[in-house]
Amino acid sequence: MEILVYGTVNSVALALYALGFAMVYGVSRLPNFAHGALFIINGFVVWTLLNTLKLNYFLSIVLALLATAAIGALMYQLVLIRIRGMAISEIIASYAIGVAILEGLRWGGFRGMTYTLPAYIEGVIFIGGVPVDLQRVLVVVIGIAIFVLLWLFTRYTRIGLALKGMAQDEQAAMMLGIDSDIMAVVAMAFGSALAALASVLLLPLGNIVVETGYSVLILAIAVCIVGGLGSWMGAILAAFLIGFTQILTEVYLGTHFKMVVALLAIILTLILRPSGLFGRQKELEERV
Amino acid sequence: MKITKLLWVLMGVLLLTLYGVPALAAEPIVLGCPLATSYLYGWDAERAIQLAVEEINAGGGVMVGGQKRPFKIETIDTRDLEPGVPVSEALLAVEKLILEKKADFIVGGPVRSEAALAAMDLLSKYKKISILSTGVLTPKYHARVAENYDKYKYLFRISGEAKWIAVGEQIPALMDIGNKFGLDRVYIMVQDVAWARGFGGIFAKVMAGKGWTVIGKPQIYPTGTTDFSMGLLKARREKAQVIIIAMDMPESSILLKQWYDLRVPALPFGSIIAAAEQPGFWKATEGKGEFTLANVVNAGNAPSNASDWTMKFVKAYEKKWGLEPEGYGTSSSYMAVYTLKAAIEKAGTLDSDAVVKALEATDIMGVYGRIRFDPKSHQVIPSLDPKEGAVGTIFQWQAGKRVVVFPQSIAMGDIQLPPWMK
Repeated sequence: MEILVYGTVNSVALALYALGFAMVYGVSRLPNFAHGALFIINGFVVWTLLNTLKLNYFLSIVLALLATAAIGALMYQLVLIRIRGMAISEIIASYAIGVAILEGLRWGGFRGMTYTLPAYIEGVIFIGGVPVDLQRVLVVVIGIAIFVLLWLFTRYTRIGLALKGMAQDEQAAMMLGIDSDIMAVVAMAFGSALAALASVLLLPLGNIVVETGYSVLILAIAVCIVGGLGSWMGAILAAFLIGFTQILTEVYLGTHFKMVVALLAIILTLILRPSGLFGRQKELEERV
Repeated sequence: MKITKLLWVLMGVLLLTLYGVPALAAEPIVLGCPLATSYLYGWDAERAIQLAVEEINAGGGVMVGGQKRPFKIETIDTRDLEPGVPVSEALLAVEKLILEKKADFIVGGPVRSEAALAAMDLLSKYKKISILSTGVLTPKYHARVAENYDKYKYLFRISGEAKWIAVGEQIPALMDIGNKFGLDRVYIMVQDVAWARGFGGIFAKVMAGKGWTVIGKPQIYPTGTTDFSMGLLKARREKAQVIIIAMDMPESSILLKQWYDLRVPALPFGSIIAAAEQPGFWKATEGKGEFTLANVVNAGNAPSNASDWTMKFVKAYEKKWGLEPEGYGTSSSYMAVYTLKAAIEKAGTLDSDAVVKALEATDIMGVYGRIRFDPKSHQVIPSLDPKEGAVGTIFQWQAGKRVVVFPQSIAMGDIQLPPWMK
């Protein structure tokens, strides 16, 4: 039961880490290697609004989400648009921006262990005799709600359908009057907001440290590669696959092998099925 | 206009005459500090060294061959506590301090044991005296000095090391807790780094020999781990009563938050637990870390009355930096500068061999008791009595304060159990 409960929590957390990355790649084919940095900067923005400006917690979260979305959009509009289509350049540029954000935060004094966000809800419940704190339960509930809303968004809203169209065939979408650059900016802002949403859900479980930005990026890439780059449904399934494997590894092999699972998953996928679990489908169907 | 300029020049000359000229005249003694400045055990040392240097320079500096010379600090970030940063970065920092910054002495780090061990050959190649004062807990360091004295005689460590912390402090403290509260089941969680793995192994072996039940093997967590749920659930399931933690990563605070959230009925006892050492820990965890025990290696890193100098240091640090001493490298880094000053003055020269002899003869009463080095291994001699040697400190978070509970000779309060353990 422990494996089931904490495997689910771990999997939802991994899916949340990866959704924003999958969304941006699916629409604009842009591997946003600044994803982990956006996750962390959002945490520090919330912390600053909450503790320095003494704003209300909910208001701080909303403002931080908007700010992170704006950072993502600006990143695209000011830098990435100029190198769009050049995959290696996109990786180098976005990674450089990410490193600049993370190391800039460290340089700016955001270091140490005392940056934390309060949990939204305190207390413990027992699921099948296994104690789980309510914040984790909330992560699973909100996480699943986000997956459902995202699915509805890409099917029943104009912007969602435009993003879906871009993901399926950019040239055809442009012929139908969808502005490719605007949609790419929207996707980048949306992906950044998803990273920010993951951040405000998951950071109250721990603390805000710069290093987490790097591990979030690695986990997001692992999930997206296994799921098939650009397929957010694949990303969710891959998150559950890696999430449960990590917990099983921790229980039966040892805690220090946990991180190896994600890295091994990348290597094995690239060797055995480079397009990932949903790679082929990705070519034919939707990628958003 | 001309008169104004002239006045400025005259004022400048006056200020230089009053304050600047003596300092400018004497060539500074350069202290090279290779420290992981983004991490607690780097910046605590950096701040303590700065405090000591300012105090010494304000007093005129260091008397060398009949001349007072000021200390000058050169710090380079080694980044050696960051996950994934290779040891070579720290070696580059050390070499740069020696060759480019012309450091006369190395004080502080490197901070990570692996980096410090790797830097030993480099330091001996340049015959550069190094006083380790933060991080580096591996017993291998001073064992290597003892094994090959002629090569490594320039290397000293003024802070505690893992073997003494485990056998000399932690285990006696745990035995006291066991006897007092009737606890005898221990669970060990350590970080995947040399000192912590070594510590976990020693601890498991000794506690099993003392009749305690050691639950499983020490659980090893990679640096950067952010979820400890499964380990804590195991501790709960196996009815652990004490959780020994050896982690210097920031994420160790997550472990303590999870411990509280899951109400694990076992006392968290950090042999080294970086997150809980900081005064800001209470606020950061909203009090969830109450009852956590933490070893901060040497006295003076939390308020106590180990020696006449202890509270003087704590207050001076608080005045300078606005908070109590933070991590376990604080008081030792402060003392490293004062000990070096005493040795240089005794040697009357900066010559490495002469200062080594003077350091070996060190016998001063410092912030954490009597400071002496073992003549063979150059490890500071530890003790449970500050009159005999360098005394350690274990404190417990109680109602928002760090209360020193061990050793008895300097204790400021008694150990308490969380309510869900009673």
